[in-house]
Order: sequence, then C-alpha cells, then structure tokens
Amino acid sequence: MKLIKILNLSTFFLILFLFAFIPLYPKFPLINIKGTFVAIRAEDFLIALTVGLWGFYIICTAQVRNILKDKLNQAILLFFFIGCVSTFSASFLTHSVTPHLSVLHFLRRIEFMVLLPVVATIVTTKKRFIGILIVLALTILSVNFYALGQQYFDWPVISTTNSEFSKGLILSLSPGARVNSTFAGHYDLAVFLAMVITILSGLFFAAKLRFRLPILLLGGLSLVVLIMTAARQSFVAALIGIILVLIFSRKKKYILVFLILTSAILIYPSQLRDRFISTFTINVLNLGQRYVGQTEDQQKRAKLNIPTLAIQTSSTSAQTSIFASNSGKIATDITPGEPVDTTQLGVYRSFQIRLQIEWPRAITAFLKNPILGTGYSSIEIATDNDFLRSLGEVGILGTLAFALVLVEIVKRIYSVLKQENKFYRYFSAGVLSMLIAFLINGMFIDVFEASKVAALFWMILGLSLAVKDFK
Amino acid sequence: MIMPGPSKISDFKALPKSDKSSLAGDNIAQVSNVAGYFSNNYRKFVADYYLKNYQDKTWLFFPPLRLNHPPEYSWKVIKVNTDSTYLEEFVYPLRDSIYINGFEPFYEDKTPKYWGASQFGENGNSWFTKTTLRFYPSNLAVRLLVWSGISFSILMLYRLGKRIIF
Repeated sequence: MKLIKILNLSTFFLILFLFAFIPLYPKFPLINIKGTFVAIRAEDFLIALTVGLWGFYIICTAQVRNILKDKLNQAILLFFFIGCVSTFSASFLTHSVTPHLSVLHFLRRIEFMVLLPVVATIVTTKKRFIGILIVLALTILSVNFYALGQQYFDWPVISTTNSEFSKGLILSLSPGARVNSTFAGHYDLAVFLAMVITILSGLFFAAKLRFRLPILLLGGLSLVVLIMTAARQSFVAALIGIILVLIFSRKKKYILVFLILTSAILIYPSQLRDRFISTFTINVLNLGQRYVGQTEDQQKRAKLNIPTLAIQTSSTSAQTSIFASNSGKIATDITPGEPVDTTQLGVYRSFQIRLQIEWPRAITAFLKNPILGTGYSSIEIATDNDFLRSLGEVGILGTLAFALVLVEIVKRIYSVLKQENKFYRYFSAGVLSMLIAFLINGMFIDVFEASKVAALFWMILGLSLAVKDFK
Repeated sequence: MIMPGPSKISDFKALPKSDKSSLAGDNIAQVSNVAGYFSNNYRKFVADYYLKNYQDKTWLFFPPLRLNHPPEYSWKVIKVNTDSTYLEEFVYPLRDSIYINGFEPFYEDKTPKYWGASQFGENGNSWFTKTTLRFYPSNLAVRLLVWSGISFSILMLYRLGKRIIF
C-alpha cells in the first residue's frame, strides 16, 4: 500500500512540475538526431519518467483492465495502432520516410497524447485540481513577464525557427521581431496564449468574487502579449474561444461588450492590426504595390519555374542578379510579383508558402496513399494545417481514429456542462472552448505537433476529464 | 495486392532513341533501382511512355495515379544533386511507384532555358534532355502485412465508431 501511495504521489508531483516545466523551460537541445533539427530535450525524459511511474502505478493497482475497457483509451490505442501501421507502410512499402525519423515522430505523438490518461487518472481530488490551476496561473504569469522582458529589456531568446537557431543559440529580439517568450517561436506562444485566455474566461465565471480581479488581470496581460505576437490566427481563435465560453456558460449578454472591446483593440495601431489589414488587401483583394523586375535579368528569371537558374542577359554587372534596393526599404530577397511593403510581404509569403508548397505537399501525400498516408515525417516539418497534415501522414484511417478521440472527449466534457457544480461547469466550458479554439488554430498552424502546446493541450484535457469523476 | 508487376528498374523499357547513362550516379551499383537516359524526348512523350509501360507491366486495367512533384524533390527521391526541371511519380497506391525525373535545359524549339545551358554528350552523341527513373518496389509479404493492418483498423474503427458516436 505504501508503494502505491508513493507512486501515486510521485506521479502527481511530476505532473504538477510538468505543468510549469514544459511551458517555461526553453527548448535547449539535449540529444541531436541525424537528419532533422528537432532534438530530444529534457522534457522528453521527464515525460517518459512520469509515464513510466504512472504505468507502474496502474499495474500495481490492477487498473490495466479498466483502462483498456475505457472507450476513450481504446480510441487512443487504435490511433496509435494505425500510426504504427502507417509508419511500417511508409518505411517498407511507400519508402516515403527515413525509418528512424518516422519512428521518432510517431513516438512524439504517443508522448503528447498519453499525458491525457495520465493526468485524468492521477488527479482524483479537488485539492489536486486546484493545485494544478494555481501552478498553471503562476506559469502563465511567468510566460507573460518573460515576453515583456524580451520586448523591453532585451532578455534572451531561444528559438527553433531554423536549423541554426535550434542548436540552442542565445539570441535577442531584433527590431520588428515578434516575442516568443519561452516558446521558441511566436506562433507557439500565441497558441498557448489563445488556450489560456479561453480557459481563464471560463475560470473568471467559475471563481469566487475575490479571485475574479486577478483572473481578469492575468487574462488581460495574456491578451496584451498575444497582440504583441501579431499572430492573426491565434487572435481569431482566442476571440472565438471567448465567445464560445460565453455561450457555453450561458452569459450571452456579455458577447456584445466583448465584441466592442475587440473592435477597440483592432482599431488601436499595432503590428497585429497592420497584418490584418494586409491580409485583406493582399490575400483577399489582391491589391498593394507589387515589385517588378528592375533589370532584364530579373524579368527573364521571373518567368522561370526555378528562378535561381542563371540567365544570359546583355549586362555583365553584378547588379543584374541582385533583388535588393539601394535604399534598403525593399526586402533584399524580393522577387517580381511580391508586395513591396514589408508587412504586406510577410503576410503574402505566410499565405503563399501554405498555398503553394505546404498544403499541396500534404494533398499529394494523401493522394499517394489515401488509406494510411505516407507516414510521420514524410511531409517535412511543417504543413501549417493539421487536418491536411493528418490526412497526408496517416491517411483517412488515422484521421478518423483521431477524430473519434476528439469526439469522445467533447462528449465527456459536454456532459460536465450539465452538472450542478458551477465551478466545474464553467471550467469545462473554458476547456471545451479551448479545444475548439485549438482546432481553429490547427487550420493554419501545426498545433498538434508543436511540442509545448500539444503536451499542455492533452494535459489540460486530462484535467477536464478528471473533473468529470470528482465526487 | 498480389497481381504480378515490375520488381526492378530493368523491368521497364529503355527510353526510345536514347543512350543509357553510364554516369556513376545513374548506375544501380551505386543507387538502387535507378536508370538514366539521354535523348531528345520531352516531358509529354516520356511521361506517357512510362505511364503505359508501367500499366502494361502491372497487368491492371487502370493506369497508375500520376502525381506532379516540385523539381527540387528529386534530391530526395532520385538522388542528391539530381538536376531537374520536372518530376513526376506514377503510383499504384499500397503497391509500388516509379519517379520520372526530367532535366530539359532547352525548350522544344532548342532555345536555351537559362544561361549556360548545354547539350549532353554520351557515346559520342549529343542530346537535349536527360531522363532519370527511380523505381520503388515493394515486397509481397510487406503488402500482406500492411493490408492486414488496414483490415483490422477498419474493423476496429467501425466497432468503436458505433460505440462512440451512437
């Protein structure tokens, strides 16, 4: 009995620690993997330790049969099984992956998702639940403060946005760059903030009066940092998330007030506002001043499908192949047809890279093997649309199994919305809205593969499922 | 799944009116199931030719799926440093596939596409295009295993789906 108690308590404290460690510890690589710049990090070992202890605890308490009988766990196991078949097929049938990379990417999915049953079975009391919420609140506060430190006090930046940065270089924010706090990428930070803002909205109504002001301030601070990231998709996701919280909590009268507040935020000058305007003018209306080739060389090259090929022109000047402006106002790597304005250029490229490279690549992978996809890691690191990525990597079968997992979770959380207990009801409204906001983010960002936010997502869902079983 | 089909690159016909490349990287001793041909055949002819050849070899009544890939993908699926102006893949899903990589430095009217474009020399002949093929075969035992996994997954999805959704 003593061993079981120790195991239970150790796993709980490890979970508590993970809720703070995963968001806060920078993405320093621990073991580099050949063929990718994604590295194994300290948190992977901590998660492995937590899952290992949990597994031992489950065996000692003879809960294995109960866990396997559970519909949700069966859906998760089926998703893992299909992932395994897909990885095998990709390695030996379609030959579309490097086997060791595919296996590691597959293990990553297991690593994140297995945290759901771990948290759901270990958090068995309200005391533990509150403990985790307090740790999460302090973590959110720390993440926000660090983001402000990066913006205003030049605090270090650890980024994984390219192969060089991902070696663990200590950087600082360059002018115009967007904060990423401890998340190694501003998109990941924005997704995290959209998640927590949604949950905090639910907790605001759940908490006693004296806790409402701190929750409001924390939510407000998170919103300010979210605006600083200038991530349009996450801002929209947070917006929809909050509206859903108000609907699920039956507080619809606040929606109008919230929309007025959002309009004020969008009117106020910020990089986020400029990017929204550019999205409309460039991607929707196809307006904006475009760059035209300045030289014969540039004009000829623009017509090639491989613009880096050399072109024979009358001029022998080195200037012919340079796409930069002397004034420095135009991006040095601009090509004909792209917007001249730097904000518009960023917005244009952000969309075009998805539309012309990443999404077609995922669709091609899906067409090549519609049933199982072409395996994890087969369509490079980013697709920036998790639905297409899922279809491309694990095909219809894997995507359906994943959808089953989500459907069962939604059903369970939704059942708590009908409970008498106001606190759990509003918290569940927040988590359900967070889930939907996360899926909205998944339309333009690979949220289920972004390690920090994905791990937290499954842990928070586990927490919400734990609430369902509280006496 | 069990229909006979090509098992190696030499099961495919050589490109008509061409010289087989004797370059080291186009040799199956260095890269498995690869073959290169210098010719004056352009994309449409080459693609249609191998599409038909692949279907004939596979004995199926429908042609393989035709996928168009970005040329730079040739470094991954053919071999590193493969020059490319088009890359297509013909695939019978859950069986095998062949990649057709074309390098055409000249337009069909023989005008160069870029500065420095030059003809290929092989066996004392000059050619305007190079076609590189790479075949990815699959083992019957692997196909059987994958199909077993698929069948089991579909069954479980159906059973679990019924319990979760209804």
